[in-house]
Amino acid sequence: MLALLRRPLSKLNLVETLPYLGLDIEEEAEEYVRVEFNPNRPDFSSEWGIARALNGLLGFETGAPRYQVGRSGVAVKVDESVLDVRPFFVGAVVKNVELDDESIRQLMAMQDDLDNGLGRRRSKVSTGLHNLDAVKPPFTYKAVPPSFEFTPLGQGRKMSMTEVLRDVETGQKFGHILKDFSKYPVIVDREGTVLSFPPVVNGEATRVSTETRNMFIDITATDGKAAEDVLAVLLAALADQGAQLESIEVNYPSSRSVTPNLASTKMNVEQSYINGLLGLNLSQEEFTECLKRSRLGVEQVNETITVEVPRYRSDILHPVDIVEEVEIGYNVVNLTPTFPASTDVGRLSSRLSALDAARKVLIGLGLIEVMNYSLISREMLVSMKGGAELSRELRVENPKSGEHEYLRGSLIASLLSTLSKNIHEEYPQKIFEIGKVFYRGEDGEPREEYRVAVALAHAEANYTEAKSYLASFLKQLLGAECVTVPSDYPVYALGRAAEIQVDSKDTGGIGEIAPAVLDGYSLRVPVSAFELRIEAILKV
Amino acid sequence: MSTKPLHSLERRLLKTLRGKKEGSRLEAVAEKAGLSLDQTRRAVEWLKAKELLAAEAENREVIMLDTEGQKAAAEGLPERRLLEQLTKTGGEASLEDLKKRFSGDAQEFSAALGNARKQGWVEITSVDGKPVAKGQAVKKATLEEMFLSKLAREGGVAEADLAQDEKMILKILEKRPGYLKRKEEKTVKISLTSQGSEVAAGLGEEEELDKLTPDILATGKWKGHVLRPIDVEAPAPPIYPGKKHPVQQFIDEVREIFVALGFEEIEGPIIQPSFWNFDTLFIPQDHPAREMQDTFYLADAKSSQIGGGERVVQSIAQVHENGGNTGSRGWGYRWNVERAKETVLRTHTTAVTVKYLADHRPRDARVFSVGRVFRNEKTNFKHLDEFYQIEGIAVGEKVSMRDLMGLLSRFYLKLGLTKVKFWPTFFPYTEPSLQSMVYFENLGKWVELCGMGIFRPEVTLPLGVKNPVLAWGGGLERLVMLRHGITDIRVLYDNSLSWLRGLPLCR
Repeated sequence: MLALLRRPLSKLNLVETLPYLGLDIEEEAEEYVRVEFNPNRPDFSSEWGIARALNGLLGFETGAPRYQVGRSGVAVKVDESVLDVRPFFVGAVVKNVELDDESIRQLMAMQDDLDNGLGRRRSKVSTGLHNLDAVKPPFTYKAVPPSFEFTPLGQGRKMSMTEVLRDVETGQKFGHILKDFSKYPVIVDREGTVLSFPPVVNGEATRVSTETRNMFIDITATDGKAAEDVLAVLLAALADQGAQLESIEVNYPSSRSVTPNLASTKMNVEQSYINGLLGLNLSQEEFTECLKRSRLGVEQVNETITVEVPRYRSDILHPVDIVEEVEIGYNVVNLTPTFPASTDVGRLSSRLSALDAARKVLIGLGLIEVMNYSLISREMLVSMKGGAELSRELRVENPKSGEHEYLRGSLIASLLSTLSKNIHEEYPQKIFEIGKVFYRGEDGEPREEYRVAVALAHAEANYTEAKSYLASFLKQLLGAECVTVPSDYPVYALGRAAEIQVDSKDTGGIGEIAPAVLDGYSLRVPVSAFELRIEAILKV
Repeated sequence: MSTKPLHSLERRLLKTLRGKKEGSRLEAVAEKAGLSLDQTRRAVEWLKAKELLAAEAENREVIMLDTEGQKAAAEGLPERRLLEQLTKTGGEASLEDLKKRFSGDAQEFSAALGNARKQGWVEITSVDGKPVAKGQAVKKATLEEMFLSKLAREGGVAEADLAQDEKMILKILEKRPGYLKRKEEKTVKISLTSQGSEVAAGLGEEEELDKLTPDILATGKWKGHVLRPIDVEAPAPPIYPGKKHPVQQFIDEVREIFVALGFEEIEGPIIQPSFWNFDTLFIPQDHPAREMQDTFYLADAKSSQIGGGERVVQSIAQVHENGGNTGSRGWGYRWNVERAKETVLRTHTTAVTVKYLADHRPRDARVFSVGRVFRNEKTNFKHLDEFYQIEGIAVGEKVSMRDLMGLLSRFYLKLGLTKVKFWPTFFPYTEPSLQSMVYFENLGKWVELCGMGIFRPEVTLPLGVKNPVLAWGGGLERLVMLRHGITDIRVLYDNSLSWLRGLPLCR
């Protein structure tokens, strides 16, 4: 990396500067520094791209880089058959490359990053690098039946495409992209030699090695713009590495294009817009300097600045992106904090404040607050239902942890699970939780609401004690009377459960937890509990 | 007679000294009264002040253990150690063997053997021309041993205080070199004054009460009684108070800081249409963050209503497709309203923030939220799939990146964090974006905390918000962990009662 910079720089300086390009230092070793780049900067996927930006930020080489593109005369025919499968093709010829093992590794890593990021794991774009001298143009990009045979890269024998998808690692990984098609894409030369089976694997014939002098780049895609974005990043890196770029002709059934198109684009930004958002007061000269340090071109600076954006900077969508380029060129180190004046008066949400009040009452009653996850296991959910079918419960798709498959519909299961984890702790255990529960409403729509639940566990725990706490809670919080009407719930023991009524409305349940439920949670002391629809009670 | 009331310590002391003509040593009185030296000295001072007691300092000679004596008191007399070795071998051993087993030099061995024979513990006979020792275990302590333990226990004893037989033993032990020494010691002798003797004589025999009862208090029965002293050093059973959960405790501190900075609290649903979680934030519909690997989608639940009105939905569609009238190029793909209706568990509280922006279209506002967010991740010591996020926004005509840095610095300052660093980063919905790092003095290291930025015009303009919106946010649990020195994030939601009961509120 240091060798790619236009002036000498110490390693310490390098490590201190990289973060100001938006690169995170992942690892600092004797021989290398490993950085993580953000997805908006695919041009940072190679050290050539990072060096280009560093040269700018440090003032070693500034302004938009220019890339010359010659003509190779290589043509690619895009056959009608591939238009339904993967219709876009762009590419280029790269002459006089000099590759060693390290630069090949860099190229492959960049290609992977581009295929994964902009290429959305090759579903949108995939790239191939080939030894041009091993094949004979013109090339044809077409779709063929899965029985088509060729020698894939690194396999050492001929295989059918079906076999490739089944037996080769990249086939297993990317084959799903082709699952809806009966024909698969292939790129062949004049004599039928296979360059690539995109987006899966290249042919062995065009393997790139340290001997390779001239390269052909193919990019196939379902999105033409994304394909060109990827090509621009690749070519800028190869040109910085010292190679010459040449265009190719792409002949579609009813149109013709020449790629690559590396023309930069123009973007107009108001000076006041940049100064306003950054909180700075930069002069025309400073704007020019900052933008050039970010490797952008500056065409003219008046009230409006016309910025030249190199083709490989596909992340620049809006003038606001130019604001960030100015900020980076100015260097965030030089940006000092200011504190904006305001006459705003802060306040808490009235609903959460009401819950705060409920919490205070429960703590005053000597209960310890616990906090549990919203996502619970199916097993926990079933424990609450006494064998009844799950119906109004909400499930999430593909949870990485099976313990977290359902949204809880009640807090009682969470409290029992807490008690279950604390069976070796001193009793009495008196706990409460204030949290959200989730369920499917009568109309089928998902709903969520805050609830309050209390559980009392000790040798003498019973319904009466729970009711004392409930009555005190309602009295202290709202001055409300507590009415309990006999009722049945699967989680409570028969004859020891009641519906809680406030203002004659059903607002929850109270009871002694049924012994079978206790047993399910390995609890060896009686537990009494209640759960309240606190939002309805507080009318918040 | 003194009319001043007497403390029970004083009563105890007076009774102990009752009838004594001569002065008594303070230590001896303390022991007899069953009081500590401190308690006795305190009572002596009080009684002196009441002129009921006289105290005079006195020097006296005491007998104490010397180095050899201390050793013998701890490990046993040499003859005792010799007998122990002999009984270990079965009660019979050649003198040669016994000498080897004995811990001590030859001189010590012969002295030990001599003393053991004198005590009648060991008998020497000759077997095959070789001397052999025989002896049985003796449990009972000798007078010498008892005297040594007494000195070890009491520290120093005056010869005058010794019993007749002890005086005899003293003479014997003093013959052993290095066993005993004599030393001058200061002591206090106390005696009752004539007034004190009078008061002491008048003290009735008191009954000790186990505890006060309502009946005792009501009848006045406590008068003339003392409470039975209890072991005030004994441990008492623990009491566990009601408590806030430490995470909630921290949430409330954060809320207080925001309010103090002039921010208003908002909250909203956890279950959100993708529209508010992703689309309004200019996150393209094929963005990897939207995949099921990273986001929890609700099964069988599409939002029939995405809210916000048709105009907002249309604007969002356009901004994704071609930038609409925001000045952006857009993403250049066909936006699909069906994907926006997919229901997710919010991956950030920003879903609530943008809904607030759409509903209120503020020109000027400071708003915050602390809420639970969800990511479909495998949980481990570093990651949870459900955690709290802190988020603050400030809207205003003239607000800038530097203001944002200032607001966040002020927020950190209120948490007691003074050193902050910023550098560029990327978030899909803010531009420019910065990351912040904070120095923790107690850990001696920088820790990455909140990210921040200005909402992209592609986010704010379609919602009808014209002024820049500064936003910052970050995880809450990290801060709670740093405060309590926790390294495994799962501990926070394990709800271990011993942890919850034991955690102090302040530190």
